[in-house]
Amino acid sequence: MPFYRCIVPKDSVPFEKRQEVATAFTDIHCGSTGAPRSFVHVVFDEIPEGEDSGYSTPYYVDGGNRAGRPEDVKQKLLSDLTGAFIEITGVPSDQVAGRIRESPASWSMEGGMVLPEPGEEGDEWYEHAAN
Amino acid sequence: MIEFNCTVQEGVIPDSIRPELVSGLTSISVSVMGASADDVDVQFTEIPQGFGFRGGELSTTSLVRGQVPAGCEQELRVEFMQQICDMWMQVTGCSVDELVVSARDRE
Repeated sequence: MPFYRCIVPKDSVPFEKRQEVATAFTDIHCGSTGAPRSFVHVVFDEIPEGEDSGYSTPYYVDGGNRAGRPEDVKQKLLSDLTGAFIEITGVPSDQVAGRIRESPASWSMEGGMVLPEPGEEGDEWYEHAAN
Repeated sequence: MIEFNCTVQEGVIPDSIRPELVSGLTSISVSVMGASADDVDVQFTEIPQGFGFRGGELSTTSLVRGQVPAGCEQELRVEFMQQICDMWMQVTGCSVDELVVSARDRE
């Protein structure tokens, strides 16, 4: 965690832009939460032409984060992520939406360690995540 | 019912070892969670090369996301995730830093 899944129409976002979005999402998430960079996962899921993605807009940022952050932090995070996606890809803003779903940190294990709650990350966890 | 979605990067987890991973996940679900083997479902989602990133770089990480019965005790959940980590690393040869495991309550 976090896990950001970008839903996009097939062949609409080239590799260079995908990498740029992934880097921007990492910068934004880490800048907002203090998480280590290796913590941030971004994948792109292409929807073939004519197929319904099930999302409200053709481009969608579907995020999954640890629960426990204030609502204003979550809203700003989502706004910054979708803003970066729009800026990098050039997609009109009315075609992009997103959400961030949350689950307890204790439900996930990364690097062999159960994830700490937001704000409770100790030095050991940061040191491990940096390796 | 215990369901797994294993998100793997193209070229990292070959088809040939996936049956062993399914068998391992099923075995752990039976031994730790007390599930019936018939009630374990494992799906793989492959991320094409160039479509998965970690820390802004191309990723080799696998994400094994399980759904367990709601209200699962945390001690049991941790044991479940730990055994999955150990099994996955043994079968695939990946490092502990190339694996994320979750066990969320089924909605």
